[in-house]
Amino acid sequence: MTVLPLRSEIEGATALSGVVSEARAAMAMIEIDRVSQTFQTSGRQNHLALSEISLSIEDGAFVSILGPSGCGKSTLLYIVGGFVNPTAGVARVKGKAITGPGPDRGPVFQEFALFPWKNVLGNVMYGLRQQGASRAEAETQSRRLIEMVGLKGFENFYPKELSGGMKQRVAIARTLAYHPAVLLMDEPFGALDAHTRNRLQNDLLNIWERDRKTVLFVTHSVDEAVFLSDKVVVMTRAPGRIKTIVDIDLPRPRRRADLLLDPRYQKYVVDIERLIDDTGEVEAHP
Amino acid sequence: MIKPGAWLAKAAPLFACIGLLCLWQAASLVMKTDSFPTALESIRAIPAILGEREALVNIADSLRRMAIGLILAVLFAIPLGLMMGRIRRVASFFNPLLMVIYPVPKAALMPVIMLWLGVGDVSKTLVIFLGVSLPIIYHSFQGARAVEEKMLWSGAAMGLTAMQRMVRIVLPAALPEILTGCRTGLVLALITMVTSEMIARQSGAGNILFNSLDMGQYDTVFAMIIIIGAMGICLDAVFEVVRGWLVRWSEPQFDMPLSFS
Repeated sequence: MTVLPLRSEIEGATALSGVVSEARAAMAMIEIDRVSQTFQTSGRQNHLALSEISLSIEDGAFVSILGPSGCGKSTLLYIVGGFVNPTAGVARVKGKAITGPGPDRGPVFQEFALFPWKNVLGNVMYGLRQQGASRAEAETQSRRLIEMVGLKGFENFYPKELSGGMKQRVAIARTLAYHPAVLLMDEPFGALDAHTRNRLQNDLLNIWERDRKTVLFVTHSVDEAVFLSDKVVVMTRAPGRIKTIVDIDLPRPRRRADLLLDPRYQKYVVDIERLIDDTGEVEAHP
Repeated sequence: MIKPGAWLAKAAPLFACIGLLCLWQAASLVMKTDSFPTALESIRAIPAILGEREALVNIADSLRRMAIGLILAVLFAIPLGLMMGRIRRVASFFNPLLMVIYPVPKAALMPVIMLWLGVGDVSKTLVIFLGVSLPIIYHSFQGARAVEEKMLWSGAAMGLTAMQRMVRIVLPAALPEILTGCRTGLVLALITMVTSEMIARQSGAGNILFNSLDMGQYDTVFAMIIIIGAMGICLDAVFEVVRGWLVRWSEPQFDMPLSFS
């Protein structure tokens, strides 16, 4: 057992030396190292949500986490976000252990979580202003982002005046605005109707193609995961473990119409659906 | 073009006023006692009161105490309520305390407070402060507790510290609920104001009212009730305009309950 602390000691030491840590950063943007999460249920019982998850995500990769509801996939994302502390194990971003939220990891939630008292422009500007940008600078950048997510003309609308799809576009722009190195997307299109979801998936890919940020994307839709990702991490039911990681070897830029006819795409979808069925739960497609 | 229905809805409070006055007039004519003047007699007594310098000074005194008590309560109750809503330890310390204090009529503390602090402004302002604080604490607490966790996470990811999140996310997000508490507080302030002046008579609108009662000037008594009532209605109406403007961004909610607890 003495091997384990030794290993982490070495890692701690290498993180200090600039050259080595740079090399490490080029390898992995996010490292999840034997992370477990236990919750106390209302009956005072311990519920193991995540069990010894280890995962490494390269810089610029689009990785989806797919699994049945309650498998802890969102919890894993919250741990990377620094919103939840793991019970055991450690998660790192750019080689540094995650101790809390930070602007290098930008979350996008299913619930949008916009600031309702700010209009669209105010929401998108918020993070930039917080990071010290001047008002004029923040406004110019924000207006460009709002245009990029297709909401030009809605700058002065309040969130309550927007549809669900528009709200999520604002949330994406708000997060992109402060240039996080990693996008953490927690079932971002789960609350939207099928048509809106398709459009947002397309637009997200277009935006992503421009700067290829690292994306960690939680979903329970197999189509969505295959369409968007470089890698699909399939998880088991609670306690959440990684069942398989599937590399999605499909050409980019991807277009929905082409992919739907592509037998390789179809095979990925069918294979992954079988994998999920094996875990004991048939997840209905939304 | 505004629909006739909309006009009717807007004018409804006016009709309610007129209706009440008519009822009053009729009841008083039927009962024919000295201690119940008619509505018209009472309204006729209003200019005499408002024309008197001393009466105006008294009313101004009342309003000043009410404003100070209310402002102090807002400054104290909103931060406390918000902290109770977000920090478990603060809530578990103050909740039992407030549960005990809540049902005690604050005016009942007036004799004790008078004993310690005299019959002057300090006692009366303190009673108003106590009466107003509780609903504002309660609503701030509820508002802060209901703030979406993910909204706070989004702020934390942008680099907001815990204190910044409290002031710049919890406070605005809870504002609709806080202002509901403030509206209740405003009306309670008026009620406690009059009650405190009834107990410690020295100056104020309540003082005029109860002195006139002692002297059997019933038209003045009822005129003062109209004046104080009108003050309450005006303050509430002004507050509603300000509130509507401050939370114009919020989802339309149910009509405000008229909670005079």
